[in-house]
Amino acid sequence: MKAEEIIAYRSRNRGRGFFIYAFLTVIVLWSVKVTIVEDTDWERMGSIGKVISSAARFFGVDFNLFPDLLIPSLETLMISLLGTFLGVLICIPATWFGALNITPFKPITYPIGRLMMTLSRSIHEIVWALFFVSVFGLGALAGIFSIAVRSVGFIAKMSAEAIEDINPGPIEAIRSTGANGFQVLLFGIIPQVIPQVLGVIIFEWEINIRRSAILGLVGAGGLGLVFFRQMNTFNFHGVTAVILAILGIIIIGEFVSHYVRKNVT
Amino acid sequence: MSILKVKDLCASYSSSGPEILKGISFDVAENDFLAIIGPSGAGKSTLIRCINRLVEPTSGQIYFHGQDVTQLSLRELRKIRRGIGMIFQEFNLIDRMSVMDNLLSGRLGFTGNMRTLFKAFKRQDIDSALKLLERVGLSDQVDKRADELSGGQRQRVGIARALMQDPKLLLLDEPTSSLDPKISREIMNLVKEMAFELKVPCLCNIHDVQLAMDSCNKIIGIQEGTKMFEGTPESLNKEKLQEIYSMEVL
Amino acid sequence: MINKSITSTKMTGHVTKNWSRIKYPDSYIRYLIWLATLLFLTFSIEYLDIPLERLMGMLERMGYTLSNRYYPPDIGYIMDLDYMEYVVETIQMAYLGTLFGLLMTLPLGWFGSYNLTPSRRFIFPIARLITMGFRAVHEMIWAIIFVSILGFGMLPGVIALTFFCTGFASKLLAEEIEVIDMGQVEAIRSTGANLFQVMVYGVFPQIRVAFTGIAIYTWDVAFRAATVVGFFGAGGMGWYLKRNVLQIETERVSAILFSIIILVLISEIISAMARNRVMKMK
Repeated sequence: MKAEEIIAYRSRNRGRGFFIYAFLTVIVLWSVKVTIVEDTDWERMGSIGKVISSAARFFGVDFNLFPDLLIPSLETLMISLLGTFLGVLICIPATWFGALNITPFKPITYPIGRLMMTLSRSIHEIVWALFFVSVFGLGALAGIFSIAVRSVGFIAKMSAEAIEDINPGPIEAIRSTGANGFQVLLFGIIPQVIPQVLGVIIFEWEINIRRSAILGLVGAGGLGLVFFRQMNTFNFHGVTAVILAILGIIIIGEFVSHYVRKNVT
Repeated sequence: MSILKVKDLCASYSSSGPEILKGISFDVAENDFLAIIGPSGAGKSTLIRCINRLVEPTSGQIYFHGQDVTQLSLRELRKIRRGIGMIFQEFNLIDRMSVMDNLLSGRLGFTGNMRTLFKAFKRQDIDSALKLLERVGLSDQVDKRADELSGGQRQRVGIARALMQDPKLLLLDEPTSSLDPKISREIMNLVKEMAFELKVPCLCNIHDVQLAMDSCNKIIGIQEGTKMFEGTPESLNKEKLQEIYSMEVL
Repeated sequence: MINKSITSTKMTGHVTKNWSRIKYPDSYIRYLIWLATLLFLTFSIEYLDIPLERLMGMLERMGYTLSNRYYPPDIGYIMDLDYMEYVVETIQMAYLGTLFGLLMTLPLGWFGSYNLTPSRRFIFPIARLITMGFRAVHEMIWAIIFVSILGFGMLPGVIALTFFCTGFASKLLAEEIEVIDMGQVEAIRSTGANLFQVMVYGVFPQIRVAFTGIAIYTWDVAFRAATVVGFFGAGGMGWYLKRNVLQIETERVSAILFSIIILVLISEIISAMARNRVMKMK
């Protein structure tokens, strides 16, 4: 009878699903055992009470630190802005190559464009920072380049997708007036994608504030350096102060980004 | 004995918002198929939704089998809800699930949490589902995904789902507004037949007046939250309609 | 006859006497923003002492450093079993962090969604606040904090990644939940289902695909972070990175970077494949 078939079929599916979940749970439990349980120095950590008191060291803000945080905060904002700006410059070739409809020589330039995007996104900003510090030395320049190179991935990818999704109608129209390739780009393609691209750039800038703040941990300028110093001198309340400062500039970034996006896109 | 007794029902969407329903009263008896007509914005949808408290009334009483629905706790309300089936204008089927699963979801009020999680419904539920599917003519669509069906088919699944609850009352919120005229007629006929077979009274919100008059045995006309008319379809003439709709009726 | 009908039709609409590209005040605000940004950029370059003139020379130096110090990468160094162990650790940290993060995302995303949150006045804003807080703190900061509380090892790494993933995914999940079809939720509610059943039948089927996408995306980001948290003592390959950076063993560093890139690329390919399957599931 039909009902039997249905019940049997549903039980089979349920059984299979259950088995898969059970298997995955076993793997997860094994991982937890192998990584956390065996690797952690439980002795050194001590009891729950000791852990809580360790955590409590951070509960408190060193207000004296705040005047010293203003300049690094400004630096961080500057690094994020310059970095994003430089990133946009690098994006121009990356997007051009990485968009199927405007790439100059598909078999070669398109993969190069895509590779640039993937490479940029695959490498963590800390790794980029380490590299650029070894090239440019300590300071803001390394941070700016790290941010720039790291942003290319997202901005170029989104822009390329926006360009690939454009409405071909206006392009046809402009081409039919006898415009050359460059003019088609300027009058046909760019106006269509600018709102989206600007939105993406501002969005990435917001994320870059967060990144710039920690690049100082490896010597690339900004609040990260202050954070590093506070940690090293075990001034935990100072660490909390720096974190609050970072949250502060992120909030500022959100406001600015919201306002600018409303007015420009 | 009336299955449903609505007394001075008032409702608004927000505490400071305008009153949508301004004191509606009516009864639904055992064999009734009650149609609610009126212009858009009159509060028909709100009225239907107040019955099972999908919209909370601001005042008034709703007696379902003698119990005042407006005073019930959430848990008691759930018990009442599982005895009231509802059919929606937009069908509201779970798109990604199969027809069978959609039908079974009608039994959720009678199913425990464990069974729900593993979708292990009782044997009798599956039997009922198959029977209802046959009755609405969709036996061959059992395992199709709900979003692969046509509008008329979807509403039939909706009807079957509501009837899976073994309801004591059927609420219909503009069940045919998303369907073309021919299918609308088929659907209303199907509902009428099945409601008669299963002895379930219906409260139906409908905007096609002709369809309403053909399907029901009692009509209520609402305008701006107040009841303007109550009676049989035969007694609904042009003047009364004009009153309700405040416009020229063709 | 025809002429008369043409001349007798009047076109309504006012005549613009002047047209210019610059329209007050929209353009005004826009150009102001551009100007402000440009000014700030120039000021920053000055303030941070960026030596623009020397930049070209520096880029040359970069090429030199790359080709001499970072090349050839010391592949032999990373081919040993100890390192492989660390690599496996990194992967485990990444997926544990993603898993626990996603588990915490389920309630947090639900509470943070305007349409389904149990209480719009209290739970909703608190959930959104927590999500923003977890998100705003960089994953490295989480790592450093937890290393200082719990000591070195993978536990702080997993916890840091969990906190990060929770913030990251909760925002995305809340946004997904806010665009579901509430009609389906209504329908399930009307059958007398309880909250759990409404979630399983009304909400889950609608967000299932989107949630899988969010999970894959979260894994991507978590894995990248996992490769580096070891730098601050939280377990994984990053530890090797730190050691060699401190000792200025650049060829080994470049080998480690190379391994990181390869791993992330593999993870990307797997994610892309998973995403394709999810697309088909739709």
